[in-house]
Amino acid sequence: MSAQPRDLRRRNKAARISRASGLASGKLVPHERTADLLRAVIEPGDILCLEGDNQKQADFLAAQLASLDASTMRDIHLVMSCITLPEHIELFKKGMIRKVDFCYAGPQGGAVADLLASGKFPIGAIHTYNEIYARYYIDLTPRVALIAAAKADRAGNLFLAANTEETPAIVEPTAFYDGIVIAQVNEIVDVLPRIDIPTDQVDFVIGAPYPMHLTALFTRDPAAITDVQILMAMVAIQGIYKEYEVESLNHGIGFNTAAIELLLPTYGEELGLKGKICKYWMVNPLPTMIPAIESGWVETVFSVGGEVGMERYTAARPDIYFTGRDGSFHSNRPMGQLAGHYALDMFLGASLQVDIHGNSSTVSKKRITGFGGAPNMGCQPMGRRHPTKAWLKAGREANPGPGSIPGRKLVVQMVETFQAGRVPTFVESLDAQDPSIKAAMQGVAPVMIYGDDVTHLVTEEGIANLGACHTPEERTAAIRGVAGYTPVGLKRSSADTASLRERGIIKLPEDLGVSPARANRSLLAAQEIKDLVRWSGGLYDPPAQFVDW
Amino acid sequence: MEKFQQSFPSKPVAWPASKKWALSGVVGSGNLEVLIEPNAAAPASVSYAVETSFPGYKDSWLAALGDFASHYAVGGTTITIHDQGASPIVITMRLRQALDLLTSAKP
Repeated sequence: MSAQPRDLRRRNKAARISRASGLASGKLVPHERTADLLRAVIEPGDILCLEGDNQKQADFLAAQLASLDASTMRDIHLVMSCITLPEHIELFKKGMIRKVDFCYAGPQGGAVADLLASGKFPIGAIHTYNEIYARYYIDLTPRVALIAAAKADRAGNLFLAANTEETPAIVEPTAFYDGIVIAQVNEIVDVLPRIDIPTDQVDFVIGAPYPMHLTALFTRDPAAITDVQILMAMVAIQGIYKEYEVESLNHGIGFNTAAIELLLPTYGEELGLKGKICKYWMVNPLPTMIPAIESGWVETVFSVGGEVGMERYTAARPDIYFTGRDGSFHSNRPMGQLAGHYALDMFLGASLQVDIHGNSSTVSKKRITGFGGAPNMGCQPMGRRHPTKAWLKAGREANPGPGSIPGRKLVVQMVETFQAGRVPTFVESLDAQDPSIKAAMQGVAPVMIYGDDVTHLVTEEGIANLGACHTPEERTAAIRGVAGYTPVGLKRSSADTASLRERGIIKLPEDLGVSPARANRSLLAAQEIKDLVRWSGGLYDPPAQFVDW
Repeated sequence: MEKFQQSFPSKPVAWPASKKWALSGVVGSGNLEVLIEPNAAAPASVSYAVETSFPGYKDSWLAALGDFASHYAVGGTTITIHDQGASPIVITMRLRQALDLLTSAKP
């Protein structure tokens, strides 16, 4: 019986490594030889993973890749979380990419829309984070992964510092399926503070000529929080946080949630909620949480990523944050997203557009952005079995039938009815439903959070409890009821709104005991970035763009 | 600049006799001031006088002002508004704040 070889990938890997053997000393490759290394190990047809999420980027490797010629680098199936850098766009412009599977393209959303329109952006699918990591273990396992680490030792072990993020989720499937892992590092040292990725899973290490790109994505300046956002925050605290006794939660990025964080030590304290709500968080180290943490509100915070400037503060608060044996902050994007999916009472986020069914999206014809992690948390975890007070209460309201799950996660969308420039947030139909966008995605509109998953909508008008609506028509009426003076809101019937208010499905600020006159910046625990530094006892080091003193 | 006046029916307001008026907001870019005063002559309606530097939004103004009159008891008042391009969001909040200041027991 002639045996079919079953180790072709392993043999192929050995061939690639031997082609690169002259470039490396051990596993270390000088950065001047990076382009040669990439040419030696990448083959046409490869699934190539380029590390880069909305915070951390293997930017040196991306630039080296983009500098190559399309004759040597072609027919690549690119898999990556976030298309963020101009170098990523260059790969498409040069025609190197056969197909791309990704999650998010925020900063390059406009460029991606242009590429898509000119047929140069062949989308496989737009994913959520955990969805694409899952596919790295199934049908999108990288042949070559280009990753970023803070430090390496001379044997090739890696230290990821505060920004572990998605590195292990890329490295493990690649390394254990005979792929090649190439790491750029800020620094090569004799002894690492701790080992996050063992050298067994790493093939080549390059000391990059400049440190990896890191974005301070979650820093919000309290000075930019408006009275309207404070009113909405008061409404949310009274109508949702207190009402459901929300103990574990995630906040998205934005000024609405920053306002809530800064009201906990003032307004929340006054309502006697300390110790009852907001104890367990899955969220990045948000600078605006410093006052709540210092006031004793928070038990633990687990994070998907680090935040520039929060390194010393988090290291000094190991009772709150997860830290390594070296004392420094630790993050993990896939596990954080998983925790956000299964272990939270509530997800609260914002969006650019909400339609009359409660679907939301940030995609428009001119900006193809995508998802990131919000949908992993902003959805109902049908595999959840453990009860909490909030989960059971929301489940009772949803009026489950004999075959349905008894609880619901609170999935809250908090939006102002208008964006800047009087662009209405509420629309009859999402831009994401545009036929040209759907055509590029096999007919599926890129919806961020589905209306069926949303339990509450908070606007400056009040709260709509969508989870308690019994019919799609009722849900639309509830959405119109809090959509203010947008075209969607103006189509409401006052009889519908009054009846929904009577049933408690729509709640206005005064129904919740919120006094609008108090919606004032003086209610914030910190007025500006400098106040956050003071609250932190000088441990928070805000990035330069936030420092004006 | 656009100016208009409009009255809407509304339930009579109740407030402490010690108060003669209440003011919220300031005239500034994207903001407005709302002055609320008694008008004993018409206890079952509210009379608005609007002056805005952003013309062309009268329909959404009237929708917001009409809703405010029906959601809240503001009959027997005159509400004077000086606007410099506030969004509808800010307008309804300032209206609520002025009413809140007028009817609260605090001086």
